[in-house]
Amino acid sequence: MILTIQRTIKEALSNFWRNSWLTVASVSILTLSLYVAGIIYVEIISANDEIRYIEKRVNISAYFAEDTPENEIISAKENLLQLTEIQKIDYISRDQALENFKRDFADVPAVMQSLEEIGNNPLQASLVIKANEPTQYQQIADYINNSAFKEIVSRINYNEKNKEVIENLNKNIANLRRAGASMGIIFALITILIVFNTIRITIYTHKQEIEVMRLVGASNGFIQLPFIFEGIMYGLAAAAISMLMLALTFKFGVNYITPIISSGAPSSSFFGVFISKFSQLFGIELLLGIALGVISSMIAIRKYLKI
Amino acid sequence: MIKFESVTKIYGANPPALDNINLEIKPGDFVSIVGPSGAGKSTLLKLIYAEEAPTEGTVYFEGVPLDSLSSKKLPKHRRNIGTVFQDFKLLPKKNVFENIAYALEAIGASNAEIQENVPQIIDIVGLKEKSHLFPQQLSGGEQQKVSMARALIHRPIVIIADEPTGNLDPISSLEILELLLKINELGTTVILASHDQDVVNQAAKRVITIENGRIVCDDNCGRYKI
Repeated sequence: MILTIQRTIKEALSNFWRNSWLTVASVSILTLSLYVAGIIYVEIISANDEIRYIEKRVNISAYFAEDTPENEIISAKENLLQLTEIQKIDYISRDQALENFKRDFADVPAVMQSLEEIGNNPLQASLVIKANEPTQYQQIADYINNSAFKEIVSRINYNEKNKEVIENLNKNIANLRRAGASMGIIFALITILIVFNTIRITIYTHKQEIEVMRLVGASNGFIQLPFIFEGIMYGLAAAAISMLMLALTFKFGVNYITPIISSGAPSSSFFGVFISKFSQLFGIELLLGIALGVISSMIAIRKYLKI
Repeated sequence: MIKFESVTKIYGANPPALDNINLEIKPGDFVSIVGPSGAGKSTLLKLIYAEEAPTEGTVYFEGVPLDSLSSKKLPKHRRNIGTVFQDFKLLPKKNVFENIAYALEAIGASNAEIQENVPQIIDIVGLKEKSHLFPQQLSGGEQQKVSMARALIHRPIVIIADEPTGNLDPISSLEILELLLKINELGTTVILASHDQDVVNQAAKRVITIENGRIVCDDNCGRYKI
């Protein structure tokens, strides 16, 4: 067994180098496919990161009338916490709200001045509610509007816009996935065609050897293995080259790729995503490359290796 | 050992290449199959090493009907048989030693076995001094000896030689024949297809004559007759 593998590798390696032009053609198209797949992958990952970042900042605030006693607000909070949709509620008292306000507008003298002129605290206490899923805000808003404590709630700043933004983003990602998948399939087909052709020609140039092997009673596996191995090597080479190309692209060519979503989130650099997902992406590229190489080889073997 | 039972082989819409062949070859036989080109000699041999399957009838090898063998078992069947061809089928990029060793590598022999057996067989066919040469550096007769060595290296029980002397001068032809006879004496069954009268007559063994896909003569007189 080990002997067979040894001989197979020897044979496949020499095929790999001897038909250098064919090898270049196969590896290039395979590399190109993996490269495109890699770009799409990183685009989708960073778009997902963006969405998660934006989602984190989405929340809903319920403001309470200025004269609402604190204990009523607390009991409203307790009531809301029973909803499974709600992840977290922060209570912001009137004093807290004022403090926040002062902090946020400290360097806008006009605002500070008018605040002083008012004299008392004009801000309302509020509950800042965070849902588990962005789609649940509408439900929560509806719940509050029909609740027992709706009388003390003066307004809810649930913004339909937030929802739209998130829905749009999700749609974009879905589109990207779909476009990526169809592009991937087209590239995969072209790749299989070209690698298949290369293996076919390799089989043709090794007609004599194959004939001799069959005549002396070499097992089918022994005859097939070198060609399958060749496919694997195309995959390995293409995965390595495409990773290098991706690294260079994300490092130096970022200006030429448009992120589908950019909110200025800290994770929005492609290179960062590429580095953080390096092993995962490399694994995918390897698997994909080897799978494409082996599938093409198998097709060529079935068609041209009469065994 | 080899038995043809009402075997017919038809390629496409052509007249049968073999037409209702009944034939038995016993272990240790030396059988010459003669007949004009296109008579069906090669087809008959191909049926034995299962390169082709009969259209009708059955070929038995050691009692096993060959059409019952799955494609997985075919390689094992072929290891019982050594084949020699008119065009030698040597690999041009491998030298004499490597060409013979290749046959052993292909069936999974260990390196030690290869190092031990290949020089022996090279010695037997008389090419001891030339084991490092490449096929194009050898004469036709020498190339055929390499191909015979390769056919013998895995110790088959049958040698099938399809026009082995077709490309050779008379002296080399007789050398090859002598080698075949020597192999036969050591107990290996030999099936020799040839249209070389001298070779067949020199062998003076059982001769089967085929014409238009039929056996027209099967005798032990050892004379080539057409």
